[in-house]
Order: sequence, then C-alpha cells, then structure tokens
Amino acid sequence: MEVERILLALAALLFAPIVGGALTGADRKLTARMQKRIGPPLMQPFYDAVKLFSKQRLIVNGFQSVSVSVYLASMALSLVLLVLGMDLLVLLFVLALGSVALILGGFSVKSPYSQIGSQREVLQLLAYEPLLVLMVVAIYLKTGSFSASSVMSLRQPLIYSLPLFIVTMILVMAIKLHKSPMDISGSHHAHQELVRGIYTEFSGPQMGLIEIAHWYELVFLLGFIALFWHTNLLCGALLALGCYFAVIVIDNITARMTWRWMLRVTWLFGIGASLLNLFLLYGIAGR
Amino acid sequence: MQFMDVASLIRSVSPGALIGILVLLPALSGLLVFAVRLNAARVGIVIVTAWVVTGASLTLFLWGALEQRSLLFTPPPVGGVSWDLLILLGDGALLLIFCILGAARRSPQIFALALLQAGGFLWLEAGMKPPHAHAAPLAADWLAIIMTLIVSIIGMIIATYALPYMRDHEAHHQIHVSRKPRFFLFLLLFLGAMNGLLLADNLLWLASFWELTTLCSFMLIRHDGTEEARRNADRALWMNLLGGVAMIAGILLLAARGEPLSVRQVLADSAGGAAAQTALLLPMACFCLAGFTKSAQMPFQSWLLGAMVAPTPVSALLHSSTMVKAGVYLIVRFAPAFHNTYLSDVVAFVGGFSFVAGALLAIGKTNAKAVLAYSTISNLGLIIACVGLNTPLAMTGAVMLIIFHSISKGMLFMATGVVEQHMQTRDIEEMQGLVNTMPLTTSLMVIGILSMLLPPFGVLIAKLVALEASVELPALLILLILGSTMTVVFWTKWTGRLLSSAPSTPRWGIERLHSMYLIPLLLLTSGAVIFSLLVVPVLTQLVIPAVTQYYEAIRPTAAQIPPMGEVLQFPWLPFALTLTAAVLIPLWIMRARRPQVRDVYLCGEQVSGLPTVTFRAAGEEKTELLISGYYFESWVGEETHRRWMTAVGVALCILLFGTASLWK
Repeated sequence: MEVERILLALAALLFAPIVGGALTGADRKLTARMQKRIGPPLMQPFYDAVKLFSKQRLIVNGFQSVSVSVYLASMALSLVLLVLGMDLLVLLFVLALGSVALILGGFSVKSPYSQIGSQREVLQLLAYEPLLVLMVVAIYLKTGSFSASSVMSLRQPLIYSLPLFIVTMILVMAIKLHKSPMDISGSHHAHQELVRGIYTEFSGPQMGLIEIAHWYELVFLLGFIALFWHTNLLCGALLALGCYFAVIVIDNITARMTWRWMLRVTWLFGIGASLLNLFLLYGIAGR
Repeated sequence: MQFMDVASLIRSVSPGALIGILVLLPALSGLLVFAVRLNAARVGIVIVTAWVVTGASLTLFLWGALEQRSLLFTPPPVGGVSWDLLILLGDGALLLIFCILGAARRSPQIFALALLQAGGFLWLEAGMKPPHAHAAPLAADWLAIIMTLIVSIIGMIIATYALPYMRDHEAHHQIHVSRKPRFFLFLLLFLGAMNGLLLADNLLWLASFWELTTLCSFMLIRHDGTEEARRNADRALWMNLLGGVAMIAGILLLAARGEPLSVRQVLADSAGGAAAQTALLLPMACFCLAGFTKSAQMPFQSWLLGAMVAPTPVSALLHSSTMVKAGVYLIVRFAPAFHNTYLSDVVAFVGGFSFVAGALLAIGKTNAKAVLAYSTISNLGLIIACVGLNTPLAMTGAVMLIIFHSISKGMLFMATGVVEQHMQTRDIEEMQGLVNTMPLTTSLMVIGILSMLLPPFGVLIAKLVALEASVELPALLILLILGSTMTVVFWTKWTGRLLSSAPSTPRWGIERLHSMYLIPLLLLTSGAVIFSLLVVPVLTQLVIPAVTQYYEAIRPTAAQIPPMGEVLQFPWLPFALTLTAAVLIPLWIMRARRPQVRDVYLCGEQVSGLPTVTFRAAGEEKTELLISGYYFESWVGEETHRRWMTAVGVALCILLFGTASLWK
C-alpha cells in the first residue's frame, strides 16, 4: 500500500511535466490555427525548455533562485498531494505558497515591470483564491470530508450537483494560466506595456524551471477538474480538456482587461455563481 | 531514575508558591524598579524577574503535565487580612483612580464610565451581599496554564527587549529626566495582572485584574506624554472602561440570579439544562462585550490603532501576549455557557466581521505598526469566530491561533521597533530594500511575516482548522474565505517592499544589534519555526488536551475530542523539510557556481555604474528609478469604510444583547 502510494507520487512527478508540456504545445498549435497561422510543432515547449537550460545563468539577485525553486517545489507537491488524495484545503494552501514564492521573486527585483507584475499577481491571487476555496467547500458538502480521496466514494459524479463550479473553474484557469482577458500580471507575449510582467527578470535556467512548474500547475488544474467526473476516467479527462479548450477559445476572442474588471467579475459573478449553486443544492432541495 | 527525581521534585513544589511568583513577583519587581532608579539595577532586576517568572510558568506547566488535574488554590491570609478583602480594596482604589483620571483629563466619558462602574461595584458589595463562592478563588486548568506560559515567556522576552529599546528611545527623543522607572513599573505590573486574570476563578478577582490591565495599558500608551499619546490613551481608557462596565453588569446579573461568583460554578450551572443556560445568556452577552472591547473588535478597534503611538515594546506586549489576549481568553472561558445558542452565532459573526474588516483595512496602510495592528484585530476576530462556532474543533483552532499568533506578532513588533530605532521610520515604503541595509533584521522579519501566512507555519495550520470548523456556519465560512485571501495581500506586499533590490544598490553588510535586541528576536523567531515544525506534538500534547479537559470539566457526559484526523495525519514534517530543501538547494548551487549578476532590464535605457537604478528618460536626462507599492487608498482607505464598519459593529453588539435577552 505504502509502496504503491510512493510509486504513484513518483509517476505523477515524472509524467506530469511531459503531459503538461505536450498540452502546452497543443495549446500553442490550436491558438495558431485559430489565428490562421501554422504554429510551432507540438514539441516546441520542450525545445524551448532545453534551450532555456542551455543558456547562461544570469540573475539580478540570489533570492530569485530561491523563489523559483520554492515555486516549482510547491507546484509539484500540490500535484502529488492531489494524486495521493490528501486534504484539499491543505492542497490549496500549498498552491498559494507557490504563488506567493513567485510573487516575492518578482518583488525582489527593483524593476518597474517585474514589480507591477507582482502587484497584479497578488490581485490575481485575491481574485481566484476564494473561488477555489468555495469549490473545496462545495466538495466537502457533498462528501463530508476535505480529503480528495473521499470524492472517489461518491456514486454520482460531482458535475451533476455542482455544474456552476465548472464555470468558476474556467475563470480560475484563465487567471492561473495567464490567458486573456485575465493575463494581467504578465502574458505569454512580451509585447505589452509590462514586457513580461512578473516574469521579466527571470531568464535562462530559472525561466526553464518556471516553465516546468507551469506544466505541473496545468496538470494539477486539469486533475482537479477531472475530480468532478470521477466515475468515468474518459469523461473526466474530456471534461478537463473541454475546460482547457474553452479557456483557449476565450483567450483568442478577448482582449486583456484591467484588474478592477477581473476582481469585479470573479468576486461578483464567480462567488455569486458558486453561492447560487450551493443555494440551489441545499437551500431548495434540502440536504 | 533522574527523570523520577525531577518529577517528584516538581510535584513537591507548592503550586501556591508558583502562582505567587507568577502574579506577585512581577508587581514587586516593578515597584522595586520604580524605587531603585539605577540603570544597572533595573537591568538586573528585569532580567532576574524574567528568568524566575519564566521558570515558574514552566514549572507550573510541568506540574500540570504530571498531575493531570486542575489546580485549585486559596492563598493564605497575610497578617490576618484575607486576600478577598485586599483585592476588594485594590479594586476600590483602581475605580477611584479612574474617576480621578476622568476628572483630571476633563473627559466626561471616562468619568461617567468610571462612576458607573464604581456604582455597580458598590451596589454589588453593599446592596446585594453576593453569595460567597466557596470554591478556591484561584484555579489553573490546562488552558490557563498554556495562557500563563504565553504571557510569562513572551511577556518577559518583550520586557527584556524593552531595556535597550527604552534607552535608545529616550536618547532619540532627548528625554533627560528618565521615565524608565515608571515605564518598567507598569510593564511588569501589567504582566503580573495578566497572570492574575488568567488564574482567577473568583469573578471579583478576575474583574479586579481586568481593571488593573486597563490601568497599566493606559499608563503605557500615554507614556511619551505627547498630545497625541494622551488623546489616544484617553480613548483606550474609555473604551476599556466600557468593557469594565459590561463586566460588572454581567457580575451583577449573575449575583441577582443567585449564582456564586465563580467561573467554574457558573459554567457547571450553565450545563444544567436549557432553562439554566437561557437564564445565564444575558450575563454572558455582557462578558462577551467586555471581551470585544479588550480584544479591539469592531466597533472598538480604534483604541488599538491609537495605541501604536506608544513605544514599540508596549505595542508588542498589547498585541501579542497581554491585553488583547485577555479579551479572547474571557470569551474562550465562558464559551461553553453559551454553547449551541444563537448568542454563540452572533459572537462568531462579530469575530468573522472583524476578521474581514481588519484584513481589508490593513491592505491600505503604509505604516508598519498600523498594518500589524489591523492584522491583530483581524486575527483576534478569527479567534473569536472560532469561539463562536463553539465546537471542539473550532476551539482547537482558537487555542492554536492564540499560541502561534502571540509568538509571531510579538516578534514582528519587536523587529519593527529595531528597524525604527535604526532607520527612524516605521513606513513600509521607506523600508524598501531593507534587505540590503539591515539584512539580519530583515531576514528575521521576513520569516516572521511568512510565519503568519504560509504553510507549514502554525498560524496557517490554525487557519486551516478554523476554515474546516466553520463549514457548520456557511455565512461565516464566506467571511473567513474572503478574510484569509486579503491577509495574503497585505503581508505579501510588505515582504515585497523589504526584498526589493537591484545589483547597484549598496550593501551595508550584516548590521550589529544590541544583544538584548538580537536575543529576544532570535528566541521568538526560532519559537515560531520550531513550534511549527513540531505542530503535531503541539496539537496532541498541548492544545487538544486543553480543549478536551475543558469540555470534560463542563460536560462530563460527553468528553469531546476534536475530529482532527485530516490535519493530524498530514505529513507536516516531511512537507516542511521538502520546502526547506527547496530553499537551501538553490543557495547551495549558487555557492558552488556563482551565476552572473546583471542589472535590471529597463528597455536598454539603463545607466550602469551608479549607486541607484537610473535610466535615460526623455531628452537623455538621467532619472532615478522610483518604485512604490500599491495601497488602493480609494478602495480600502480607513475613511472610506469607517462609518459603515462602525455601524455594522454596533449593530452586531445590539444583536448580541437582542439574542441574549429574547432567545428563549
């Protein structure tokens, strides 16, 4: 049992970056097609990462390396905790720990781009964190436990009773993956007024580690969505990929908005939708 | 063999003597410091007192761990005069002092409230002839012992820190006639009063110590004697006197119902069925109100904000181990009496509201002490929210928060004080890049801040417990969720300012700190780290026994052990070690192979070779780069929100009494 769990954790650590990188490649290809471009090959993210690791090690200050390392460790840890079916709230806090580490790395450099990017990343955290916690609470109300593994004991998939949380999850994904209209703290393209925002001062191998952390994060988010349809692995995967596709489509049909708009949308619409779902479930139907 | 010796030695110590040391020794040392006005003597007395009191609190703790029972104690009369009478006289003297203060400061509020309290007191003593509690007036259960540990150890660390601080403070403000003797008198008296309050079982004794802490805090807040200090001290005094009035009203109501004035007996009586509990709700509402004033919950938050004019050791003391913790302690104490009532829900919402409001207002503050003050209000709100939830799990969260918050907050105030003495500023914006000028203090400060908001530090694990406990009350849960996220915002912004630096910024090397600055800082920082690493033993050996014993004593039929499975089973230690490795590995790699350091990217317009980050602006003019943080003044400014927040706070307090008197 214990060996099995360790193997499971190792498998997640090993394969998640591969899956995440491939999905990112698919994302870039899809985005290119939507923009009538041919786009890079599917494996481009891996080529990019290899190139980044072969570059010179340049830093502005030593704290940056610590921040990147803690960021990567927390993203990997949160995925491992999800795979092992641990407490979902702890998991969210670990995720937040990673974000805070990266934000502090951005803050540690006295650069206007990276500092404004970090300030905005704090606001992004403020926007999505309540939505994630509400989601975990909703899962608790269904299962009576905070552990991810307790979802497995449910007979019905969560999506039947918590459909609106899929909508809020798309919001969260758009923010976490820095997709339009939520690419406020630093987008994927360095041609905006913030250059690359919070990422501006990270380069070479450090940037490579950040990319790997992003892949872990992507797989974590998709895995979290898949929890909503745990009864059928295929349906779960399709649901997760469907959400990812929706985020990509939204990314391509919208422009970047301001942080005020983001906070309004997530707090009013996002929290509103979460509460509406809970109210419909428990207020009207009764427990 | 040796262990047995130590054990029997501890058992043979008279617990009465320990209580005497904890309560009376600080007061006596205070008087001694006041009388002997020599610098060296003061340093010696404070340090010896710190060691003795810490030792006594640890011995009491070991005694409790070995004996596994509550300690009941009646102090022997002194020279034929009973302590009941002495305390009574002391309380009378205190109320007289308050009346005189009110008249001297020409403050109608203070005068009226002091008079009201004195009237209530006289009525109780002369008119009511309260049924005398036959129980011992002093009692120490596991909860009280843990609180005494916090007060004695952290309080004494802060008192030690105050020694060099007050020297620098007076040098900086060019005060020639030293006021240190008075300062240390009230500082030490404060700690004795706090211990007395925690160990008192007789409600009249409790109320007297309560008033004594009010007086001490008043004297310490106005210590500098500036107009602002006097004004803010007055505000602190009247708000706390209001709490005192609420307290005496509660005692009067209890006496009118023929209750013995003993905490344990009141709690035991409240467990005697729904009717008995309902009869006690109104006095409980009074005690809760008293707790809210002392813990600076909305709408009483302004006195704690004003209190930051005091020298920093006072703030450290008020915010971590004394004063505000007295308020939550009172509510924790009486929580079982309003278990499972609507009153409890209202208490939870008062706390939940202060939690969110404090966190929101902290975002807009650039003054470090104001951020810390709002964070205290917010965290105490969370503790009170937990108490209002009133389940064993929530109580566990509350006790954990009390422990971990005291350590981290005391440390953060002391670090801010050190920065203030070195840089003459408490503005977060001016602390930009402090990591270059004061690397040691900044590192400790960053650890302190992170210990307030990140896993696997204790405050966060307590927050986790609080969140998991609050699913019982969904509306409160939403407040807690919003408050926790806002907390991340202001701490992260502050840490960001501290760390902000560029390669061109001059580095000053590690600063030299006075050993009595450095040792207290190191003690509390390592305390925060070590207790967090040992969170599982802290929970199972300290916190859960306190909560269990507490529920056992009150509801013997259902000894409730909090359902902590998920939190206890989580591999906190491996998790913490993994994160430590994630911090250390890059440092080690950098040591082995130093990466190249490059200047900040400024679109190719940067000018290198200057001690500041500089770029070529329009017309090739060399311009220094200035960056400041976001504070969202128009969104979260104090002025924008003060009115409605006060209104909500007042409404909640009215609701408190409404549910207490109408709920049948």
